[in-house]
Amino acid sequence: MDFGFTREEEAFRAEVLEFLTEFRGMNGYFHRGTDTAYGVRQVYRALGERGWLSLSWPEEFGGGGLSPAYEFILWDELAYARAARPPMGPGLVAKALMSHGTDEQRNRFLAGLRRGRINFCLGYSEPDAGSDLASVRTRARRDGRKYVVDGAKCWTSNAHWSDYIWLLCRTGAQDSRSRGLSVLIVPLDTPGVSVSPIPTLDGGRLNEVRFDGVRVPAANRVGAQDQGWQVVSSALAVERHVQFPPKRLRRDLHDVLAALEDAGVAGDPVVRRRMGQLAVRVTEVEALGLALLGEVISGAPSAVPAAYHKLAGTTLAQDIAHAGLEFGAQQALAVGTDTEFLWRQTILETIGGGTSEVMRGLIARQEFGLRA
Amino acid sequence: MDFELSSTQRALLEALDTLLDRHAGTERSRELAELGAYDRELEAALREGGFEELFGAEEAGPLDATLAVERIAMRLGAVTPVPRMLVLPALGLEPPEGPVVLAVAGDPGPIRYGAQATRMLLADGPRCVLAELDPDTAEPVPSAYGYPLARPVSRKSRELGPGTAAAMMNWWRVGVSAEAVGMMRQAMDIAVTYAKDRKVFGRALGSFQALQHRLAELSVAVEGARWLVYEAAFSGARAESAAVAAAHTMAALGRVTRETHQIMGAVGLTTEHDLHLWTLRMQTLRTELGGRRGHDRAVVAARWGRAS
Ligand SMILES: Cc1cc2nc3c(=O)[nH]c(=O)nc-3n(C[C@H](O)[C@H](O)[C@H](O)COP(=O)(O)OP(=O)(O)OC[C@H]3O[C@@H](n4cnc5c(N)ncnc54)[C@H](O)[C@@H]3O)c2cc1C
Repeated sequence: MDFGFTREEEAFRAEVLEFLTEFRGMNGYFHRGTDTAYGVRQVYRALGERGWLSLSWPEEFGGGGLSPAYEFILWDELAYARAARPPMGPGLVAKALMSHGTDEQRNRFLAGLRRGRINFCLGYSEPDAGSDLASVRTRARRDGRKYVVDGAKCWTSNAHWSDYIWLLCRTGAQDSRSRGLSVLIVPLDTPGVSVSPIPTLDGGRLNEVRFDGVRVPAANRVGAQDQGWQVVSSALAVERHVQFPPKRLRRDLHDVLAALEDAGVAGDPVVRRRMGQLAVRVTEVEALGLALLGEVISGAPSAVPAAYHKLAGTTLAQDIAHAGLEFGAQQALAVGTDTEFLWRQTILETIGGGTSEVMRGLIARQEFGLRA
Repeated sequence: MDFELSSTQRALLEALDTLLDRHAGTERSRELAELGAYDRELEAALREGGFEELFGAEEAGPLDATLAVERIAMRLGAVTPVPRMLVLPALGLEPPEGPVVLAVAGDPGPIRYGAQATRMLLADGPRCVLAELDPDTAEPVPSAYGYPLARPVSRKSRELGPGTAAAMMNWWRVGVSAEAVGMMRQAMDIAVTYAKDRKVFGRALGSFQALQHRLAELSVAVEGARWLVYEAAFSGARAESAAVAAAHTMAALGRVTRETHQIMGAVGLTTEHDLHLWTLRMQTLRTELGGRRGHDRAVVAARWGRAS
C-alpha cells in the first residue's frame, strides 16, 4: 500500500498550479457568469494544447500513456481553483471510442477531442427515464444508411454550447429495456435538432434537446446496434475518478470558513465544533477519492468505491453549504456571495450524475448481494 | 384538552382561503416576486376581513392569528403577517398601512421587504424601537429567495417600554415558525403527490420503502413543529415554548428542503416547477433571529438562565 503520489506526479501537480495562475477567478467549474461557456472552452483548449486532455490515453491514440493519477491530480486542482470540470468528450466519449468505436470514428474524433476543439454533451435522461435509464424512449429508426431520430432528451448539461450529443436511443422494441438501446453521435447543428433552456434554481441552465426526424449517418453509431447499454456502462466505469473531485469540497470548506470569519462568528464554539466535524468528513472523502483512484489504476474498477465517493462527497457538499447558511445569518442570503450560491448549487449534486438513492441501491446490491 | 380546530377556527380558515384564492398562490407570487413587490391588495383584504384583529379579538385569539399566519405563508401571500398579526398586536400596537418589518439591532441583515417597508420594529436591548423607514434610502440586496431583500435605513424612531423586546422576539419566533410550518406542509404535499404519480422501474416512486420511510420521518418532524408552534401560541409565546418551537422548526426546515428536492429529482430543481417557490423562501425564514443557533441559545437562556 502506498498513499502517496510519485515525485513525477507531484511535479505535474506543480505544473498544473502554474498553469492555473492564468485562469484563477474564472469560476468555470460552476459555469457562473455570462462568459463561462466561452471561458470554459478556452480552458479546454489550453489544456488540449498541453496534451492534458489525453494524459491517460494510450500512446497509440496520441495520448500520454500516463497513470490515471495524472488526470485525478489535474481535475482535483482545477476543482479547487473552480476553473472547470472534466469535459465529457476527451473523457467518457474518447474512452468509449477507443474500446467500442470504429477506426473511422477514432480518426474522425480523437484528434479534435484531444486538442480540446470539440465538445460533447450527454443525452441520456428523458422526462420519463432518469434513474430508470433503461426506459429511454427516444427512437432511432434505421432507414438505409441513416437513422431517423425522434424524441426528446432533458436535463442535458452544456448542450447549448456543445458540438455533439452522445445520444442513448431506442433501436429495439419499445419494451426491450436495456437490450434495445444504441449510442449515436449526433452533431447538434443537424436539421431537426433543437435545444432550449431549462433554468435551474442555482441560476444555471440545463437543456431540453428535441429531435424531429433527425437524419444521422449509421456510421455515427458507436458499438453494435442494440448494444448501447454496454457502451454506456463501460464508458462510465473509466471516468469515475475525475467526476467528483474531492478538492472541490476542501475549497467549499475554506470558502465557508472565510465567510463565517467575515461575519464574525468563526470563533463561536458551536461553529468551531461543526467546522471541525466537516473538516473530518472532507478528509474522509479525500481518502475515499484515493481509494477510488486506486481501483481505476488497478484496471478492473468496480462501481462500489465510486458510489461510496459520490454519495459521501455530494452529501458533504450540502452539509458544508448548509453550515454556511445556518451560521452566516442573514448575510448568507446576499446573492453573489459564495456561501449563498453554494447552498443552491449543492442541492443539484445529489441528483445529477446518478442520485444518492441509486448509489445506495448499487452499494447494497453489489457489495452485499442484497436484492429486492 | 382538545386538539381539534373549533368550528369558528374552521370557518376562519375557510374565509381566509377564499381570500387567498384571489390574492395569493403560485401565479401571483411569481408575478410579484418578478417585480420585487409587496402585496398591498392582499394586506388591505386581510385588514378588511378582520384578520389583523384576530390576536386580540374576544371570540378568537393569538392561536387563531397564528393559524392564519401559517395559512398565508402556505399560500405564498406576499405580505408581512408576523409583525402585523402577531408582534404588533402583542405589544398593543395597531399595524399601520404598508409593510412592516422586524429586526434585531446589530444584525446586518438583509431583511425581507426591507426596501418596501415604511416601518420597522427593532429589538434593541430590553426595549423595542419603532422606526419610520425611508424606502428610497434602503439598500436593496439581490435575492434568489423569493422575497425581495434589503437593508433598510431608519429615519425617525420612538422607543417603546422596557420588556417589549422580549415580547417581540418571542412572538416573532412563533410567527416565523408558523410561516415555516405552512411552507413545509406545502412542500411535503408536493413531494408526496409526486411520489404517488411518478413511475420509475414500472412502479410508483412512493412504492419504494427507502422513500416511504423518509417521507414518514419528515412528516413526524413537521407534525412536531406544527404542534409546538400551536402550543407556543396558545401559551402566549412564553420564552421557552417560543424558542423550543423555533429551534425544532428550523431544524426540520433544513431536512424538509433537502428531502423534498431529493424525492422530486431533476424536475424539482427547475424554476419552471413550483417546489422552489416554497423551499427558497424557507431559507429566508431560517436565517431570522440568528437562525438555529439563535433559537438554541434562546432555549438554553429561557430554561437555565442567560450564560454570563
Ligand atoms: C445538475 C444536473 C445535471 C444533469 N446533467 C445531465 C446530462 O448532462 N445528461 C443527462 O442525460 N442527464 C443529466 N441529468 C439528469 C440526471 O441524470 C437525472 O436527473 C437523474 O438520473 C435522476 O433522474 P430523475 O431526475 O428523472 O429522477 P427520478 O429517477 O424520477 O428519481 C426521483 C427520486 O426517486 C429516487 N429513486 C428512483 N428510483 C429509486 C429506487 N429504485 N429506490 C429508491 N429511490 C429511487 C431518486 O433517487 C430520486 O430521489 C442532470 C441532472 C442534474 C440535476
